[in-house]
Amino acid sequence: MSVLIDIILAILAIYLAFQSLLAKRLTQTVFIFFAFGLALALAWVRLGAIDVAITEAAIAAGFMGVLFLDALRDFSPRTSNNQEKTEAAKDIFSKKNTKSLLLPRVALVLGLVLFLLISLEAIWNIPDGGGLTVSVETMLPESGVEHPVTAVLLNFRAYDTWLEIGVILLGLLAIFATGGIKLYLKPDVPAQDILLRQVILFFTPILFLFGAFLLYIGKSGPGGAFQAGVLWAAIGILLHLGGKPVFSMIPRWLGQLLLTLGLGFFLLLGFILMAGGATLFEYPPAYAGVLILIVETLAAISIAAALTAIFANLNQMQEKPNDIESTT
Amino acid sequence: MTDLLTSPYPALLVGLPVLLATLSLFFRTRGKALVGLLGCLLTAGLAIVAFIEVAQHGTVIHILGGWEPPLGIMLRMDSLAAVFIGMTAVVGVFISLYAWQYFRADESGPGEFPLFWPLWLFLWAGLNGLFLSNDLFNLFVTIEVIGICAVALAVLSGKTTAMFAGLRYLLAAITGSMAYLFGVALIYGSTGTLDLGLLGQVLEPGTTTTFALLVITFGLMVKMAGFPFHFWLPPAHSAALAPVSALLSALVVKGAFYILLRLWMEVFGVSITYAAGQLIGLAGAIAVIWGSWQAFMQTSLKLIVAHSSVAQLGYLLMIFPLLILAPGVTADSADWLSPAWTAGIFQVIAHAFAKASFFLSAGLIIMALGHDRIESLRDLVGNMRITAMAIGLAGVSLIGLPPSGGFMAKWMLLKGIFLSGQWWWAPVVLAGSLLTAGYVFMLLRLAFAPAREMGTFKPVPKSLEIVALILALGSFLIVFPADYMIQFLESTGVFGSGIESIVEGGAYGND
Repeated sequence: MSVLIDIILAILAIYLAFQSLLAKRLTQTVFIFFAFGLALALAWVRLGAIDVAITEAAIAAGFMGVLFLDALRDFSPRTSNNQEKTEAAKDIFSKKNTKSLLLPRVALVLGLVLFLLISLEAIWNIPDGGGLTVSVETMLPESGVEHPVTAVLLNFRAYDTWLEIGVILLGLLAIFATGGIKLYLKPDVPAQDILLRQVILFFTPILFLFGAFLLYIGKSGPGGAFQAGVLWAAIGILLHLGGKPVFSMIPRWLGQLLLTLGLGFFLLLGFILMAGGATLFEYPPAYAGVLILIVETLAAISIAAALTAIFANLNQMQEKPNDIESTT
Repeated sequence: MTDLLTSPYPALLVGLPVLLATLSLFFRTRGKALVGLLGCLLTAGLAIVAFIEVAQHGTVIHILGGWEPPLGIMLRMDSLAAVFIGMTAVVGVFISLYAWQYFRADESGPGEFPLFWPLWLFLWAGLNGLFLSNDLFNLFVTIEVIGICAVALAVLSGKTTAMFAGLRYLLAAITGSMAYLFGVALIYGSTGTLDLGLLGQVLEPGTTTTFALLVITFGLMVKMAGFPFHFWLPPAHSAALAPVSALLSALVVKGAFYILLRLWMEVFGVSITYAAGQLIGLAGAIAVIWGSWQAFMQTSLKLIVAHSSVAQLGYLLMIFPLLILAPGVTADSADWLSPAWTAGIFQVIAHAFAKASFFLSAGLIIMALGHDRIESLRDLVGNMRITAMAIGLAGVSLIGLPPSGGFMAKWMLLKGIFLSGQWWWAPVVLAGSLLTAGYVFMLLRLAFAPAREMGTFKPVPKSLEIVALILALGSFLIVFPADYMIQFLESTGVFGSGIESIVEGGAYGND
């Protein structure tokens, strides 16, 4: 029975992936992509990786979906300028389509099939019971947390996680770096209607509490900074859509502090403990639990801030390219 | 593992640039540049101190979090890592000095790009992290950091050409990363460890290992723009701002090469065959000819320099067939290993200096002329004699004429080729040099030609010209400590070793 579910899920995921590529309209593509993200999240659940499932649902289906929907608005032919752009884009694609693509396509499909077959063969040959599960379990009591995934992410391999928090900040910087370009004009939407306000008022505390819960539960179960950060980012995005752009409302330094807190504190704490003779990211076992919770909380805040800022800046980019530089 | 000296420097080499990059975000335009430059100087200083420590004590390690591998991650600074970190520091600090002045140049300068500084410091941290990493997954994280920084820097100018090239670069970089990650997953699944040292001991030959090696090599070849995955490099490197072009060509692509070298030599020995080495050498050989020919055919300076990078990276791939020994040959009897390694390392360093100088000079020419079409280079010598000299010297090193570092690299490569009996690579090295001479002398001929009209060159800051010249001279000066460097490299790490192919009767015989 469970094998059947797995097979259906696998076929569904691949089918949705293909459909999102092949869909005729961008709207379809985006919505099928949501569904694909959810199918993947379910697949992670089936694989027993609840942490990854939550992250996949929150980031791939949730946050990416919001970005895609936002981008979709730019493609809607509301202004004549956009229409021209869309037409131009169509032209580019149709020109390419006139050439004969049969041979390269057949070659591509054959190549992919071959690749998949060899991949399956390679994966099939992997022996069971590998991995570091046993040594993680052995060392778990010394890590300060009870959940093995959190122990790996925040203690055993804290260095990787620290760099990944940096990657999120870098994603934001990369978007700033593209700031000078003005590709589409976006109509200014004054989002002030009552319904939206009520939705925001209703959801903000719930999202906050749920995020805090995920953060705290990360100590002993699936959850943690990344999942909590995405939920908190949803607050920032809702506020932005509701006409209250968080980063414009708080002082500049505070915004920067929120963005860099996770990465900065993580590192500074490491440096301070290093000065006491430890290696980087080595926590005294007695305090490891508390320190990890603090690091995670600040990381979640920074992740939320970065994701909000990514959304806000993509939103502003089309309107005032010159302002973006000044917010960095 | 435990008898190696534990040192704080490896951790600081990654942490310090990140700390200063983060700090710089709090400042506005000028402040960002100031903190950024300060960060660059400090990081370079730290790298030199760390280099000296390795020179005195041999390999140093830093066990992050106090968790020994395979559970935790260990940073390892052996002589090979130290040389790459030192090269990044020296070339990086000159590019930083150039950038500082370049972005401040009011007249005809490109304007200020304050984001350059935090991105470059993050990039530097990523490169240091990559050179120090001894963990297959951590290497993935470092190439992610480097990839994002590199793409962000490449599009920083905001020009449409840069954006399109940057998008292509991003897609190539992501494809490379994903392929690499897939390979890592296969390896972790089959061995349960990610530590390079342990992997080298436990990895067993088989479909999984071979396939993992294949996808990892593919990913890294895309990342280092190895033929035939070089298509993204020329547009991305040529459309970027001058200091960025220099960073990308001189340093960033070397990161992927470094991982490739480490993984082939230290980890995947069991799965590597003589034929695989020949194949990767062939990719390098085609890159040398194709890249040089393309460079010869370009009409704008930065595109010439960018295509030349494709060719010069090809030479790096050509050391692989020499390092893989045919069945029955032992490392002790293979007297070509040391020349081949020397060729590889000196090619990396000489190219870093020469290419950085070349791109920085091109930036100055754009500053002076407003464009970089080569027909306008007439009377460059009369107008910008220091820049012309920098281009000449850098060009000489790229061709491989004595007494440059490039000569040392190509001479050692030829020596290795003849000692190993793989004579078929020799014509490629010579043809590559000849073609390189073609485009370098074409530029120099124009530079010395009399001007058709006067006053087309606007003045540029002399300090910038001097930085470009120093880097060009650097590609010559590296020859002097060559003996010391080879001894240092041989003292620790993989330098000088070879892979003894276990597959009997490879596809190509050795003589």
